[in-house]
Amino acid sequence: MNKTVLAAIIVVIAMLGFTYVAVGSAGGMGGDGDWVNKLAVLGAVVLVIVTAFVVTKYVRQMQSDTASGKLADENWDGIGEYKNELPLGWAVIFLGSIIWAIWYFLAGYPVNAYSQIGEYNEEVAAHDTKFEAQYANMDDATLNAMGESVFIVQCAPCHGLQADGMGGKAADLHVRLAEQSVKHAVVNGANNNLLGTSMPMPDRNGLMNANTNALVTDAEIDAVAKYVAGGLKGTEGADVFAGTCAACHGPDGKGMEMVAPNIAEMSPAMVDMVLRHGKKGAIGAMPAFTNLTEVQYKALDAYVASLSKK
Amino acid sequence: MFHWLEKNPFFFAVAVFVVIAFAGLIEILPNFAQASRPVIGTKPYTTLELAGRHVYIKNSCNACHSQLIRPFKSETDRYGHYSLSGEYAYDRPFLWGSKRTGPDLMRVGNYRTTDWHENHMKDPAGVVPGSIMPAYRWMFKNTADIDTAYAEQLTVMKAFAVPYNAEIPMVDGSKATVTLADTVEGARASALEEAKVIAADMKDQDVKDAVAAGQVPEIVALIAYLNSLK
Repeated sequence: MNKTVLAAIIVVIAMLGFTYVAVGSAGGMGGDGDWVNKLAVLGAVVLVIVTAFVVTKYVRQMQSDTASGKLADENWDGIGEYKNELPLGWAVIFLGSIIWAIWYFLAGYPVNAYSQIGEYNEEVAAHDTKFEAQYANMDDATLNAMGESVFIVQCAPCHGLQADGMGGKAADLHVRLAEQSVKHAVVNGANNNLLGTSMPMPDRNGLMNANTNALVTDAEIDAVAKYVAGGLKGTEGADVFAGTCAACHGPDGKGMEMVAPNIAEMSPAMVDMVLRHGKKGAIGAMPAFTNLTEVQYKALDAYVASLSKK
Repeated sequence: MFHWLEKNPFFFAVAVFVVIAFAGLIEILPNFAQASRPVIGTKPYTTLELAGRHVYIKNSCNACHSQLIRPFKSETDRYGHYSLSGEYAYDRPFLWGSKRTGPDLMRVGNYRTTDWHENHMKDPAGVVPGSIMPAYRWMFKNTADIDTAYAEQLTVMKAFAVPYNAEIPMVDGSKATVTLADTVEGARASALEEAKVIAADMKDQDVKDAVAAGQVPEIVALIAYLNSLK
Protein backbone atom coordinates (compact mmCIF):
# COMPACT_ATOMS: atom_id res chain seq x y z
CA MET A 1 0.00 0.00 0.00
CA ASN A 2 1.10 3.54 -0.79
CA LYS A 3 2.80 5.29 2.16
CA THR A 4 0.60 8.37 1.82
CA VAL A 5 -2.63 6.37 1.98
CA LEU A 6 -1.32 4.53 4.99
CA ALA A 7 -0.48 7.80 6.75
CA ALA A 8 -3.96 9.15 5.94
CA ILE A 9 -5.64 6.06 7.41
CA ILE A 10 -3.56 6.37 10.60
CA VAL A 11 -4.43 10.08 10.91
CA VAL A 12 -8.14 9.37 10.37
CA ILE A 13 -8.16 6.64 13.01
CA ALA A 14 -6.25 8.87 15.44
CA MET A 15 -8.62 11.82 14.92
CA LEU A 16 -11.74 9.68 15.19
CA GLY A 17 -10.32 8.21 18.38
CA PHE A 18 -9.66 11.71 19.69
CA THR A 19 -13.22 12.71 18.80
CA TYR A 20 -14.55 9.72 20.69
CA VAL A 21 -12.46 10.51 23.75
CA ALA A 22 -13.56 14.16 23.62
CA VAL A 23 -17.31 13.75 23.18
CA GLY A 24 -18.10 10.05 23.35
CA SER A 25 -18.39 10.05 27.13
CA ALA A 26 -20.92 12.92 26.96
CA GLY A 27 -23.33 10.53 25.25
CA GLY A 28 -22.72 11.85 21.75
CA MET A 29 -21.93 8.43 20.32
CA GLY A 30 -24.29 6.44 22.49
CA GLY A 31 -28.06 6.12 22.33
CA ASP A 32 -28.80 8.52 25.15
CA GLY A 33 -27.29 11.65 23.56
CA ASP A 34 -29.65 14.18 21.99
CA TRP A 35 -29.74 14.62 18.22
CA VAL A 36 -27.73 17.87 18.23
CA ASN A 37 -24.75 16.04 19.73
CA LYS A 38 -25.15 13.20 17.25
CA LEU A 39 -25.28 15.64 14.36
CA ALA A 40 -22.14 17.40 15.59
CA VAL A 41 -20.27 14.14 15.95
CA LEU A 42 -21.43 13.03 12.53
CA GLY A 43 -20.20 16.35 11.12
CA ALA A 44 -16.80 15.86 12.79
CA VAL A 45 -16.44 12.37 11.37
CA VAL A 46 -17.36 13.54 7.87
CA LEU A 47 -14.95 16.46 8.11
CA VAL A 48 -12.09 14.21 9.19
CA ILE A 49 -12.67 11.70 6.41
CA VAL A 50 -13.19 14.30 3.66
CA THR A 51 -10.12 16.24 4.76
CA ALA A 52 -7.97 13.12 4.76
CA PHE A 53 -9.30 12.10 1.33
CA VAL A 54 -8.69 15.53 -0.26
CA VAL A 55 -5.25 15.97 1.28
CA THR A 56 -4.24 12.47 0.18
CA LYS A 57 -5.44 13.12 -3.36
CA TYR A 58 -3.44 16.33 -3.75
CA VAL A 59 -0.32 15.04 -2.01
CA ARG A 60 -0.29 12.08 -4.43
CA GLN A 61 -0.91 14.43 -7.35
CA MET A 62 2.06 16.58 -6.28
CA GLN A 63 4.20 13.45 -6.05
CA SER A 64 3.36 12.13 -9.51
CA ASP A 65 2.18 15.10 -11.61
CA THR A 66 4.34 16.59 -14.34
CA ALA A 67 3.87 19.97 -15.95
CA SER A 68 2.49 20.02 -19.48
CA GLY A 69 1.55 22.57 -22.08
CA LYS A 70 3.29 25.16 -24.21
CA LEU A 71 5.83 27.44 -22.45
CA ALA A 72 5.52 31.18 -22.90
CA ASP A 73 8.40 32.94 -24.64
CA GLU A 74 9.32 35.11 -21.66
CA ASN A 75 11.07 33.70 -18.66
CA TRP A 76 12.23 35.32 -15.46
CA ASP A 77 15.59 34.17 -14.12
CA GLY A 78 14.88 30.80 -15.69
CA ILE A 79 11.36 30.53 -14.27
CA GLY A 80 8.85 30.16 -17.08
CA GLU A 81 5.08 30.14 -17.46
CA TYR A 82 2.80 27.75 -19.34
CA LYS A 83 0.30 29.22 -21.74
CA ASN A 84 -2.58 27.13 -20.41
CA GLU A 85 -6.18 28.31 -20.72
CA LEU A 86 -7.75 29.69 -17.53
CA PRO A 87 -10.22 27.24 -16.00
CA LEU A 88 -13.64 28.49 -17.11
CA GLY A 89 -15.26 28.38 -13.68
CA TRP A 90 -12.39 30.32 -12.14
CA ALA A 91 -12.52 33.00 -14.83
CA VAL A 92 -16.28 33.42 -14.48
CA ILE A 93 -16.03 33.78 -10.71
CA PHE A 94 -13.14 36.28 -11.06
CA LEU A 95 -15.00 38.53 -13.49
CA GLY A 96 -18.21 38.13 -11.52
CA SER A 97 -16.46 39.31 -8.36
CA ILE A 98 -15.22 42.44 -10.11
CA ILE A 99 -18.71 43.29 -11.35
CA TRP A 100 -20.19 42.51 -7.94
CA ALA A 101 -17.56 44.70 -6.20
CA ILE A 102 -18.42 47.67 -8.43
CA TRP A 103 -22.11 47.19 -7.70
CA TYR A 104 -21.42 46.77 -3.98
CA PHE A 105 -19.38 49.94 -3.58
CA LEU A 106 -21.59 52.14 -5.75
CA ALA A 107 -25.12 50.85 -5.14
CA GLY A 108 -25.35 47.91 -2.75
CA TYR A 109 -23.57 49.40 0.23
CA PRO A 110 -21.95 52.68 -0.78
CA VAL A 111 -18.89 53.41 1.33
CA ASN A 112 -20.25 56.81 2.37
CA ALA A 113 -23.76 55.57 3.17
CA TYR A 114 -23.17 54.95 6.84
CA SER A 115 -22.71 57.58 9.49
CA GLN A 116 -22.91 57.17 13.22
CA ILE A 117 -25.01 60.31 13.57
CA GLY A 118 -27.31 59.09 10.81
CA GLU A 119 -27.87 55.89 12.72
CA TYR A 120 -28.53 57.91 15.86
CA ASN A 121 -31.07 60.10 14.05
CA GLU A 122 -32.86 57.05 12.73
CA GLU A 123 -32.89 55.52 16.19
CA VAL A 124 -34.37 58.68 17.70
CA ALA A 125 -36.97 59.06 14.94
CA ALA A 126 -38.05 55.44 15.32
CA HIS A 127 -38.28 55.81 19.09
CA ASP A 128 -40.24 59.07 18.88
CA THR A 129 -42.76 57.58 16.45
CA LYS A 130 -43.28 54.59 18.70
CA PHE A 131 -43.49 56.78 21.81
CA GLU A 132 -46.09 59.09 20.27
CA ALA A 133 -48.21 56.19 19.03
CA GLN A 134 -48.04 54.41 22.36
CA TYR A 135 -48.88 57.41 24.51
CA ALA A 136 -51.24 59.32 22.21
CA ASN A 137 -54.22 58.66 24.47
CA MET A 138 -53.11 57.99 28.00
CA ASP A 139 -55.40 57.17 30.85
CA ASP A 140 -54.76 58.84 34.21
CA ALA A 141 -52.95 55.85 35.68
CA THR A 142 -50.44 55.74 32.80
CA LEU A 143 -49.99 59.51 32.95
CA ASN A 144 -49.31 59.30 36.67
CA ALA A 145 -46.88 56.40 36.24
CA MET A 146 -44.98 58.28 33.54
CA GLY A 147 -44.92 61.42 35.69
CA GLU A 148 -43.51 59.44 38.59
CA SER A 149 -40.81 57.78 36.51
CA VAL A 150 -39.72 61.09 34.96
CA PHE A 151 -39.74 62.60 38.45
CA ILE A 152 -37.42 59.89 39.77
CA VAL A 153 -34.92 60.49 36.97
CA GLN A 154 -35.05 64.28 36.58
CA CYS A 155 -36.32 65.72 39.86
CA ALA A 156 -35.36 63.29 42.62
CA PRO A 157 -31.63 64.19 42.60
CA CYS A 158 -32.56 67.54 44.18
CA HIS A 159 -36.11 67.19 45.53
CA GLY A 160 -35.54 63.67 46.86
CA LEU A 161 -37.33 60.43 46.13
CA GLN A 162 -40.06 61.46 48.58
CA ALA A 163 -40.30 64.92 46.92
CA ASP A 164 -39.78 66.44 50.35
CA GLY A 165 -36.75 68.53 49.38
CA MET A 166 -34.40 66.39 51.50
CA GLY A 167 -34.41 68.51 54.63
CA GLY A 168 -34.45 71.94 53.00
CA LYS A 169 -31.98 71.23 50.15
CA ALA A 170 -34.76 71.93 47.65
CA ALA A 171 -38.43 72.87 47.73
CA ASP A 172 -40.82 70.45 49.47
CA LEU A 173 -43.27 69.67 46.67
CA HIS A 174 -46.01 68.49 49.00
CA VAL A 175 -46.82 72.07 49.89
CA ARG A 176 -47.36 75.01 47.56
CA LEU A 177 -45.02 77.34 49.44
CA ALA A 178 -42.75 76.97 52.46
CA GLU A 179 -42.71 79.69 55.08
CA GLN A 180 -39.23 80.86 54.10
CA SER A 181 -40.28 81.07 50.44
CA VAL A 182 -43.24 83.34 51.28
CA LYS A 183 -40.96 85.50 53.42
CA HIS A 184 -38.35 85.61 50.66
CA ALA A 185 -40.94 86.77 48.13
CA VAL A 186 -42.49 89.37 50.41
CA VAL A 187 -39.16 90.79 51.52
CA ASN A 188 -37.36 90.72 48.16
CA GLY A 189 -40.26 90.93 45.73
CA ALA A 190 -40.47 88.64 42.74
CA ASN A 191 -40.29 88.96 39.01
CA ASN A 192 -43.33 87.71 37.17
CA ASN A 193 -41.45 86.47 34.13
CA LEU A 194 -42.96 83.04 34.53
CA LEU A 195 -46.42 84.57 34.14
CA GLY A 196 -45.36 86.19 30.90
CA THR A 197 -45.46 89.73 32.27
CA SER A 198 -42.56 91.99 33.17
CA MET A 199 -44.59 93.72 35.90
CA PRO A 200 -42.84 92.47 39.06
CA MET A 201 -44.20 91.86 42.53
CA PRO A 202 -42.81 94.72 44.66
CA ASP A 203 -40.51 94.06 47.61
CA ARG A 204 -41.52 94.96 51.16
CA ASN A 205 -40.97 98.65 50.48
CA GLY A 206 -43.87 98.56 48.06
CA LEU A 207 -46.34 96.35 49.92
CA MET A 208 -49.01 98.30 51.78
CA ASN A 209 -51.32 96.68 54.27
CA ALA A 210 -54.76 98.17 53.51
CA ASN A 211 -55.94 97.45 57.04
CA THR A 212 -53.28 99.57 58.70
CA ASN A 213 -52.52 101.79 55.73
CA ALA A 214 -48.80 101.33 56.30
CA LEU A 215 -45.98 99.20 54.91
CA VAL A 216 -45.98 95.57 56.09
CA THR A 217 -44.08 95.05 59.32
CA ASP A 218 -41.79 92.17 60.34
CA ALA A 219 -44.51 90.72 62.59
CA GLU A 220 -47.05 90.89 59.79
CA ILE A 221 -44.64 89.19 57.37
CA ASP A 222 -44.09 86.36 59.84
CA ALA A 223 -47.81 85.97 60.38
CA VAL A 224 -48.73 85.97 56.70
CA ALA A 225 -45.87 83.60 55.87
CA LYS A 226 -47.25 81.08 58.36
CA TYR A 227 -50.76 81.63 57.02
CA VAL A 228 -49.82 81.08 53.34
CA ALA A 229 -47.48 78.18 54.10
CA GLY A 230 -50.29 76.60 56.12
CA GLY A 231 -52.54 76.57 53.07
CA LEU A 232 -54.56 79.72 53.86
CA LYS A 233 -56.20 78.11 56.86
CA GLY A 234 -56.81 79.53 60.33
CA THR A 235 -57.23 83.13 61.40
CA GLU A 236 -53.73 84.27 62.31
CA GLY A 237 -52.34 86.22 59.39
CA ALA A 238 -55.64 86.11 57.51
CA ASP A 239 -56.19 89.85 57.98
CA VAL A 240 -52.72 90.66 56.64
CA PHE A 241 -53.38 88.42 53.65
CA ALA A 242 -56.70 90.11 52.99
CA GLY A 243 -55.19 93.56 53.36
CA THR A 244 -51.95 93.02 51.42
CA CYS A 245 -51.85 89.94 49.23
CA ALA A 246 -55.47 89.48 48.19
CA ALA A 247 -55.38 92.56 45.97
CA CYS A 248 -53.35 90.63 43.37
CA HIS A 249 -53.50 86.98 44.42
CA GLY A 250 -57.28 87.09 45.03
CA PRO A 251 -59.14 86.54 48.29
CA ASP A 252 -58.81 82.76 47.86
CA GLY A 253 -55.13 83.00 46.84
CA LYS A 254 -55.79 81.44 43.47
CA GLY A 255 -54.15 84.27 41.58
CA MET A 256 -55.09 86.19 38.46
CA GLU A 257 -54.17 85.59 34.86
CA MET A 258 -51.11 87.68 33.87
CA VAL A 259 -51.09 89.42 37.27
CA ALA A 260 -50.24 87.05 40.07
CA PRO A 261 -49.69 83.30 40.39
CA ASN A 262 -51.85 80.85 42.28
CA ILE A 263 -50.37 80.61 45.79
CA ALA A 264 -53.12 78.49 47.28
CA GLU A 265 -52.27 75.24 45.54
CA MET A 266 -49.97 73.65 42.97
CA SER A 267 -51.36 73.87 39.47
CA PRO A 268 -50.03 71.93 36.48
CA ALA A 269 -49.63 75.20 34.55
CA MET A 270 -47.41 76.66 37.26
CA VAL A 271 -45.30 73.49 37.47
CA ASP A 272 -44.95 73.56 33.68
CA MET A 273 -43.70 77.16 33.74
CA VAL A 274 -41.06 76.41 36.38
CA LEU A 275 -39.93 73.26 34.55
CA ARG A 276 -39.43 75.06 31.26
CA HIS A 277 -37.83 78.22 32.61
CA GLY A 278 -36.26 77.28 35.92
CA LYS A 279 -36.39 79.64 38.88
CA LYS A 280 -34.38 81.20 41.68
CA GLY A 281 -36.00 81.37 45.08
CA ALA A 282 -35.33 81.33 48.78
CA ILE A 283 -33.37 78.06 48.72
CA GLY A 284 -31.39 78.40 45.53
CA ALA A 285 -31.62 78.19 41.79
CA MET A 286 -33.44 75.49 39.82
CA PRO A 287 -32.27 74.94 36.25
CA ALA A 288 -34.68 74.82 33.33
CA PHE A 289 -35.46 71.34 32.03
CA THR A 290 -35.53 71.50 28.26
CA ASN A 291 -34.84 67.90 27.39
CA LEU A 292 -38.34 66.48 27.90
CA THR A 293 -41.00 65.69 25.31
CA GLU A 294 -44.40 67.41 25.42
CA VAL A 295 -46.01 64.23 26.73
CA GLN A 296 -43.42 63.99 29.48
CA TYR A 297 -44.01 67.64 30.46
CA LYS A 298 -47.73 66.94 30.69
CA ALA A 299 -47.19 63.84 32.80
CA LEU A 300 -44.69 65.53 35.10
CA ASP A 301 -46.87 68.64 35.52
CA ALA A 302 -49.83 66.51 36.57
CA TYR A 303 -47.74 64.31 38.84
CA VAL A 304 -46.03 67.17 40.71
CA ALA A 305 -49.30 69.09 41.04
CA SER A 306 -50.95 65.97 42.46
CA LEU A 307 -48.27 65.54 45.17
CA SER A 308 -49.65 68.36 47.30
CA LYS A 309 -53.15 66.90 47.19
CA LYS A 310 -52.21 63.55 48.67
CA MET B 1 15.81 54.35 -7.26
CA PHE B 2 13.47 51.36 -7.34
CA HIS B 3 16.38 48.98 -7.99
CA TRP B 4 18.06 50.42 -4.96
CA LEU B 5 14.89 50.02 -2.85
CA GLU B 6 14.46 46.44 -4.01
CA LYS B 7 17.91 45.61 -2.77
CA ASN B 8 17.33 47.21 0.68
CA PRO B 9 14.33 45.54 2.34
CA PHE B 10 14.34 47.90 5.34
CA PHE B 11 14.16 51.06 3.24
CA PHE B 12 11.65 49.36 0.97
CA ALA B 13 9.42 48.80 4.04
CA VAL B 14 9.86 52.45 5.02
CA ALA B 15 8.91 53.56 1.52
CA VAL B 16 5.81 51.33 1.50
CA PHE B 17 4.78 52.78 4.84
CA VAL B 18 5.21 56.35 3.60
CA VAL B 19 3.17 55.70 0.43
CA ILE B 20 0.31 54.09 2.34
CA ALA B 21 0.43 56.65 5.16
CA PHE B 22 0.26 59.49 2.62
CA ALA B 23 -3.13 58.31 1.39
CA GLY B 24 -4.30 58.10 4.99
CA LEU B 25 -2.97 61.54 5.83
CA ILE B 26 -4.68 63.37 2.98
CA GLU B 27 -7.96 61.60 3.73
CA ILE B 28 -7.95 61.83 7.52
CA LEU B 29 -6.11 65.02 8.47
CA PRO B 30 -8.30 67.62 6.69
CA ASN B 31 -11.52 66.16 8.14
CA PHE B 32 -9.91 65.84 11.51
CA ALA B 33 -8.72 69.45 11.49
CA GLN B 34 -12.16 70.64 10.43
CA ALA B 35 -13.97 68.66 13.14
CA SER B 36 -11.58 69.86 15.84
CA ARG B 37 -12.37 73.53 15.30
CA PRO B 38 -14.30 74.97 18.25
CA VAL B 39 -18.05 74.74 17.67
CA ILE B 40 -20.11 77.90 17.95
CA GLY B 41 -20.73 78.60 21.62
CA THR B 42 -17.55 76.95 22.91
CA LYS B 43 -15.60 79.41 25.05
CA PRO B 44 -12.18 79.15 26.63
CA TYR B 45 -12.15 78.74 30.41
CA THR B 46 -11.98 81.72 32.73
CA THR B 47 -9.26 81.81 35.37
CA LEU B 48 -11.53 80.46 38.12
CA GLU B 49 -12.99 77.75 35.89
CA LEU B 50 -9.52 76.64 34.86
CA ALA B 51 -8.44 76.52 38.52
CA GLY B 52 -11.52 74.36 39.14
CA ARG B 53 -10.50 72.14 36.26
CA HIS B 54 -7.15 71.65 37.96
CA VAL B 55 -9.00 70.65 41.15
CA TYR B 56 -11.04 68.19 39.05
CA ILE B 57 -7.86 66.66 37.62
CA LYS B 58 -6.02 66.70 40.96
CA ASN B 59 -8.77 64.67 42.62
CA SER B 60 -9.03 62.27 39.66
CA CYS B 61 -12.69 62.99 39.05
CA ASN B 62 -12.11 61.69 35.52
CA ALA B 63 -11.37 58.23 36.93
CA CYS B 64 -15.07 57.78 37.68
CA HIS B 65 -16.80 60.43 35.56
CA SER B 66 -16.62 60.63 31.79
CA GLN B 67 -17.11 63.79 29.77
CA LEU B 68 -18.26 62.26 26.53
CA ILE B 69 -21.88 61.72 25.54
CA ARG B 70 -22.19 59.11 22.82
CA PRO B 71 -24.83 59.43 20.10
CA PHE B 72 -27.28 56.91 21.57
CA LYS B 73 -30.87 57.74 22.43
CA SER B 74 -30.48 56.46 25.99
CA GLU B 75 -27.50 58.76 26.59
CA THR B 76 -28.86 61.90 24.96
CA ASP B 77 -32.11 61.46 26.94
CA ARG B 78 -30.17 61.46 30.16
CA TYR B 79 -27.24 63.80 29.53
CA GLY B 80 -28.25 66.05 26.63
CA HIS B 81 -26.88 66.52 23.10
CA TYR B 82 -24.14 64.11 22.08
CA SER B 83 -20.60 65.49 22.26
CA LEU B 84 -18.87 67.07 19.26
CA SER B 85 -15.09 67.06 18.81
CA GLY B 86 -15.02 70.84 18.54
CA GLU B 87 -16.43 71.19 22.03
CA TYR B 88 -13.11 69.96 23.41
CA ALA B 89 -11.10 72.57 21.49
CA TYR B 90 -9.98 74.34 24.67
CA ASP B 91 -9.57 71.20 26.82
CA ARG B 92 -5.91 70.55 27.52
CA PRO B 93 -5.89 67.68 28.22
CA PHE B 94 -9.38 66.46 27.31
CA LEU B 95 -11.13 64.63 30.16
CA TRP B 96 -13.18 62.09 28.22
CA GLY B 97 -12.53 59.42 30.83
CA SER B 98 -12.91 55.77 30.04
CA LYS B 99 -15.19 54.49 32.80
CA ARG B 100 -18.48 55.62 34.22
CA THR B 101 -18.59 54.65 37.84
CA GLY B 102 -20.52 57.89 38.27
CA PRO B 103 -22.63 59.66 35.64
CA ASP B 104 -21.26 61.62 32.69
CA LEU B 105 -20.49 65.28 33.45
CA MET B 106 -20.19 66.70 29.92
CA ARG B 107 -23.23 68.98 30.39
CA VAL B 108 -23.73 68.87 34.15
CA GLY B 109 -23.95 72.68 34.21
CA ASN B 110 -27.31 72.43 32.46
CA TYR B 111 -29.10 70.47 35.16
CA ARG B 112 -27.27 70.92 38.47
CA THR B 113 -26.78 74.09 40.47
CA THR B 114 -24.22 75.58 42.84
CA ASP B 115 -26.14 74.68 45.99
CA TRP B 116 -26.67 71.11 44.77
CA HIS B 117 -22.94 70.67 44.16
CA GLU B 118 -22.20 72.08 47.61
CA ASN B 119 -24.51 69.59 49.33
CA HIS B 120 -23.30 66.77 47.13
CA MET B 121 -19.55 67.32 47.55
CA LYS B 122 -19.99 67.47 51.33
CA ASP B 123 -22.12 64.34 51.61
CA PRO B 124 -22.95 62.58 48.34
CA ALA B 125 -25.13 59.91 49.94
CA GLY B 126 -27.19 62.61 51.65
CA VAL B 127 -28.32 63.86 48.24
CA VAL B 128 -28.22 60.68 46.18
CA PRO B 129 -29.29 57.74 48.38
CA GLY B 130 -26.95 54.79 47.92
CA SER B 131 -24.25 56.82 46.21
CA ILE B 132 -20.77 55.33 46.55
CA MET B 133 -19.01 58.60 45.78
CA PRO B 134 -16.75 59.69 48.63
CA ALA B 135 -17.16 63.11 50.28
CA TYR B 136 -14.62 65.78 49.34
CA ARG B 137 -14.67 67.90 52.49
CA TRP B 138 -11.10 69.12 52.16
CA MET B 139 -12.09 71.10 49.08
CA PHE B 140 -13.99 73.43 51.41
CA LYS B 141 -10.74 74.20 53.27
CA ASN B 142 -7.96 74.06 50.66
CA THR B 143 -7.27 77.14 48.62
CA ALA B 144 -7.41 76.94 44.84
CA ASP B 145 -4.26 77.67 42.84
CA ILE B 146 -5.24 80.72 40.82
CA ASP B 147 -1.66 81.58 39.79
CA THR B 148 -1.13 78.27 38.01
CA ALA B 149 -4.44 78.62 36.21
CA TYR B 150 -3.42 82.09 35.03
CA ALA B 151 -0.05 80.76 33.89
CA GLU B 152 -1.82 78.08 31.85
CA GLN B 153 -4.14 80.68 30.32
CA LEU B 154 -1.18 82.82 29.24
CA THR B 155 0.60 79.77 27.85
CA VAL B 156 -2.31 78.48 25.76
CA MET B 157 -3.06 81.98 24.51
CA LYS B 158 0.51 82.43 23.27
CA ALA B 159 1.27 78.87 22.18
CA PHE B 160 -2.09 77.79 20.73
CA ALA B 161 -3.76 81.16 20.01
CA VAL B 162 -6.67 80.44 22.34
CA PRO B 163 -8.96 83.44 21.84
CA TYR B 164 -8.88 85.26 25.16
CA ASN B 165 -9.88 88.93 24.96
CA ALA B 166 -11.44 88.22 21.56
CA GLU B 167 -15.03 88.00 20.39
CA ILE B 168 -16.43 84.47 20.27
CA PRO B 169 -19.66 83.69 18.41
CA MET B 170 -22.42 82.21 20.55
CA VAL B 171 -25.35 80.01 19.56
CA ASP B 172 -27.91 82.82 19.79
CA GLY B 173 -25.90 85.01 17.42
CA SER B 174 -24.40 87.24 20.09
CA LYS B 175 -20.71 87.61 20.81
CA ALA B 176 -19.05 86.73 24.07
CA THR B 177 -15.62 87.72 25.30
CA VAL B 178 -13.56 85.87 27.88
CA THR B 179 -11.21 88.44 29.34
CA LEU B 180 -7.72 87.59 30.49
CA ALA B 181 -6.03 89.96 32.88
CA ASP B 182 -2.69 91.58 31.99
CA THR B 183 -1.10 90.76 35.32
CA VAL B 184 -1.36 87.95 37.82
CA GLU B 185 -2.81 90.44 40.35
CA GLY B 186 -5.55 91.25 37.86
CA ALA B 187 -6.22 87.54 37.33
CA ARG B 188 -6.52 86.98 41.07
CA ALA B 189 -8.94 89.90 41.32
CA SER B 190 -11.16 88.68 38.47
CA ALA B 191 -11.15 85.12 39.85
CA LEU B 192 -12.25 86.53 43.21
CA GLU B 193 -15.09 88.44 41.53
CA GLU B 194 -16.31 85.19 39.95
CA ALA B 195 -15.87 83.38 43.25
CA LYS B 196 -18.09 85.91 45.01
CA VAL B 197 -20.98 85.12 42.66
CA ILE B 198 -20.63 81.40 43.38
CA ALA B 199 -20.17 81.86 47.13
CA ALA B 200 -23.34 83.97 47.30
CA ASP B 201 -25.30 80.84 46.33
CA MET B 202 -23.51 78.67 48.89
CA LYS B 203 -24.38 78.02 52.51
CA ASP B 204 -21.04 76.98 54.06
CA GLN B 205 -20.03 79.83 56.35
CA ASP B 206 -16.30 79.00 56.20
CA VAL B 207 -16.38 79.26 52.41
CA LYS B 208 -18.25 82.55 52.53
CA ASP B 209 -15.79 83.93 55.09
CA ALA B 210 -12.81 82.80 53.03
CA VAL B 211 -14.13 84.44 49.86
CA ALA B 212 -14.94 87.61 51.79
CA ALA B 213 -11.33 87.60 53.03
CA GLY B 214 -10.03 87.33 49.46
CA GLN B 215 -9.32 83.57 49.39
CA VAL B 216 -10.79 81.16 46.84
CA PRO B 217 -11.49 77.70 48.31
CA GLU B 218 -11.10 74.77 45.91
CA ILE B 219 -14.80 73.95 46.09
CA VAL B 220 -15.71 77.37 44.67
CA ALA B 221 -13.35 76.90 41.74
CA LEU B 222 -14.63 73.37 41.14
CA ILE B 223 -18.26 74.49 41.16
CA ALA B 224 -17.39 77.30 38.74
CA TYR B 225 -15.87 74.69 36.44
CA LEU B 226 -18.81 72.27 36.76
CA ASN B 227 -21.29 75.09 36.10
CA SER B 228 -19.37 75.97 32.94
CA LEU B 229 -19.85 72.45 31.52
CA LYS B 230 -22.79 72.96 29.19
